[in-house]
Amino acid sequence: MLTKVWSVAHQGLQAIEVEVEVNVASRGFPGFHIVGLPTKAVEEARERVRTALVNSGVDFPQKKITVNLAPADIPKEGSAYDLPMAVGILTCCGELMLPDKKTYFFGEVGLDGKLRHTRGVFLLAMLAKEKNVREIFVPKLSANEASVIEGVKIYPVGDLLKLVRHFREERKIKPLATVSKKQILEEAEVDFDFAEVAGQEQAKRALEIAASGGHNVFMVGPPGSGKTMLARAMPGILPELIEGEALEVTKIYSVTGNIEPGGGLVRRRPFRAPHHTTSRMGLIGGGSKPMPGEISLAHRGVLFLDEFAEYPRATLEALRQPLEDGIVTIVRVAGRVKFPAEFMLVAAANPCPCGFLNHPKKDCRCLPGQIIKYQKRLSGPILDRIDIHVNVPFVEMEKLRLKSKEKRKTSKEIRERVVTARQRQENRFSAKGGSASRRKIFTNAEMRNKQIKKYCQVSDDAERLLQQAGDRFQLSARSYFRLIKVSQTIADLAGVDKIEYSHIAEALQYRIREEN
Amino acid sequence: MLYNGGMGSWREWEIKSVKISDKEYPELLKKIKNPPDRLYYRGKWKRDLFKNCLAVVGARKMTRYGEGVVEKLVSELVQARVTIVSGFMYGVDTKAHEVCIKNGGKTIAVFGSGLNQVTPAGNDKFYTKVLESGGLVVSEYEAEMQARLWTFPQRNRIVAGLSKGVLVIEGGEKSGSLITAKLGLKQGKKIMAVPGPVDSSMAKATNWLIKSGAVMVTTAEEILKELGLVGETVKKEEIVGLSKLESQIVEELKRESLGVDELARRLNKDVVEVSQIVSLMSVKGLIKEYVGKYMLG
Repeated sequence: MLTKVWSVAHQGLQAIEVEVEVNVASRGFPGFHIVGLPTKAVEEARERVRTALVNSGVDFPQKKITVNLAPADIPKEGSAYDLPMAVGILTCCGELMLPDKKTYFFGEVGLDGKLRHTRGVFLLAMLAKEKNVREIFVPKLSANEASVIEGVKIYPVGDLLKLVRHFREERKIKPLATVSKKQILEEAEVDFDFAEVAGQEQAKRALEIAASGGHNVFMVGPPGSGKTMLARAMPGILPELIEGEALEVTKIYSVTGNIEPGGGLVRRRPFRAPHHTTSRMGLIGGGSKPMPGEISLAHRGVLFLDEFAEYPRATLEALRQPLEDGIVTIVRVAGRVKFPAEFMLVAAANPCPCGFLNHPKKDCRCLPGQIIKYQKRLSGPILDRIDIHVNVPFVEMEKLRLKSKEKRKTSKEIRERVVTARQRQENRFSAKGGSASRRKIFTNAEMRNKQIKKYCQVSDDAERLLQQAGDRFQLSARSYFRLIKVSQTIADLAGVDKIEYSHIAEALQYRIREEN
Repeated sequence: MLYNGGMGSWREWEIKSVKISDKEYPELLKKIKNPPDRLYYRGKWKRDLFKNCLAVVGARKMTRYGEGVVEKLVSELVQARVTIVSGFMYGVDTKAHEVCIKNGGKTIAVFGSGLNQVTPAGNDKFYTKVLESGGLVVSEYEAEMQARLWTFPQRNRIVAGLSKGVLVIEGGEKSGSLITAKLGLKQGKKIMAVPGPVDSSMAKATNWLIKSGAVMVTTAEEILKELGLVGETVKKEEIVGLSKLESQIVEELKRESLGVDELARRLNKDVVEVSQIVSLMSVKGLIKEYVGKYMLG
């Protein structure tokens, strides 16, 4: 007897319908075969499914069982086909009756018949909505991921027995109630507040500007000065995730298995801090079956690269293209996959290998040659993509304690200003015929030279200051435009459109300090 | 200029040499105990260059203090047309050459290697800069000779030998600058040292020199007096026409160099306001920045 059960396969961030055909033949030697380009994990489903069914008290048929995963030319991987296979076999033995309507089954089963947390449920639900599939059956632990998708009934399945009872109409499984996305997003809290960071007023201001204009930031300072804390506080001053963004992020997190069992929609802006030994694939994404890397996991959030100088050159160079395009394309012989990667880069480094160059209390132990070599490693084209460079000096605790009465700005206050400034930018870019340019931009950081000329108005004395600064600091054309971009954001924060003298003056603080 | 436009590289300058028997050979160097028989050089050899030479030596690992001292003293000495002689190494050496060139002075760099070997490596641009400014690079070694540990002390006798006096700016306990000072002393040169903070490891050599009888100097005038160049004048500038906040910042920076955060805290101002002023002051050249801290320029 032949049964067809529907499930899905993932290709990058895309889900594809897969038909799981299960045939229990009445003739032939008893056996269990899976065809349709299964990987090892899928092959092993035989043992899992057989044992799970036996342990659930089902009389496992001593017949020739053939499972085909169609379309047969796409490689299938993962353990999510356990459930559809089990359902297929159960149907063939007459243990349950499948509904006529198309229904998705998805999930890994344990030997005891219980369903395990399986990655990718969110994508499954999205596909279900797209294909007009009304009901999906997924592991209970993963079901929450899909709870924000409207119009699809999500059945959280605890174990195989419960599923059997559901279809026999003995005891129905209750579908998950859809949760309003808006409500979930509003509850999001931040894990670090700016008010917790002592001192570092200039660095905080720099991050505020960075958040407002979407600029990348580079922080240099000795160990223990608060670079990591500042970076961690960064997501908290970015505008809250809007619905569409949250869905994008959840999609990536679901595919990579980064959602905790029982977890639902990703509500906070991601903060990713990969270690500097992370491979290039790990950072950018890749693998024979391409998976998103850290930069895609940081999509709509912050990618924090600590010890920036320790990253291999090749890894950093690979960041250039995604930094520009906000998307990373991974090409394999089997095909190409695109992963979104709109992240804000926050990089940090020590001023020298030992970290104590110019430290008020500790001596630097590096040789001059080492320092020069180290600083050379920090230069290069990748720094050209970073608009804001800020120094994070060592803070002496006593000095801070004396002034502990001073009121520190909280993340919430800063975020409000950031949101207003971003609104200004959006209005500006959408007002003046944004359709003319190929790519739609939202923030100042995304402006190219042409757009800078189009959108940025610089007052006369500001222009003069720009020229003087250019002469004095020998600014390259690139730094010059970067300076204008940052000044524009400062102007937006101040609530004006035109770039004034004082805005340029402040922006000069965040330029790259070039050698000589 | 020997080359015309295009890629300026020190390699385009021809290596020439003077023998000890030549008329051109520097008088002062001839007088030392073991003068080099032949001096190779790149650049334009002019006799005036050797008239008022001062060796400025010090730590490779110069501190911010040392840097400030070099800037202050050398820029003033250059006004009095003193030629700055040094060893083209990191730190005080390079800084001394650099400040000298920046102020339109002439400088002589004595290599511890042959003239086709740039030590420290990667100083190529600066090599060219010295030549273009009308300065000289000299060495007693054949062009391709590599620097060895022993060539640097050897070189130091030329640094001292070319000069009327030796000014030590910073140095650690076993600093090579002490070797230069000792060699200079044997050659009968004036040995001068700039005192440093007692707790700084980079002031050990200079403070020891002062204790041992070197002349303590703190201003360019004192150095000129030691060199017997009293008649030369030192130009001085006072900063005028500052706003209230600007002069407050100048006052703070006179005492020590500070970062923006610290300045804002001391003056009780908003960090944004201080950032702006400080940028403007650096554009005007009143102050300058070094690894996140500002000092008077």
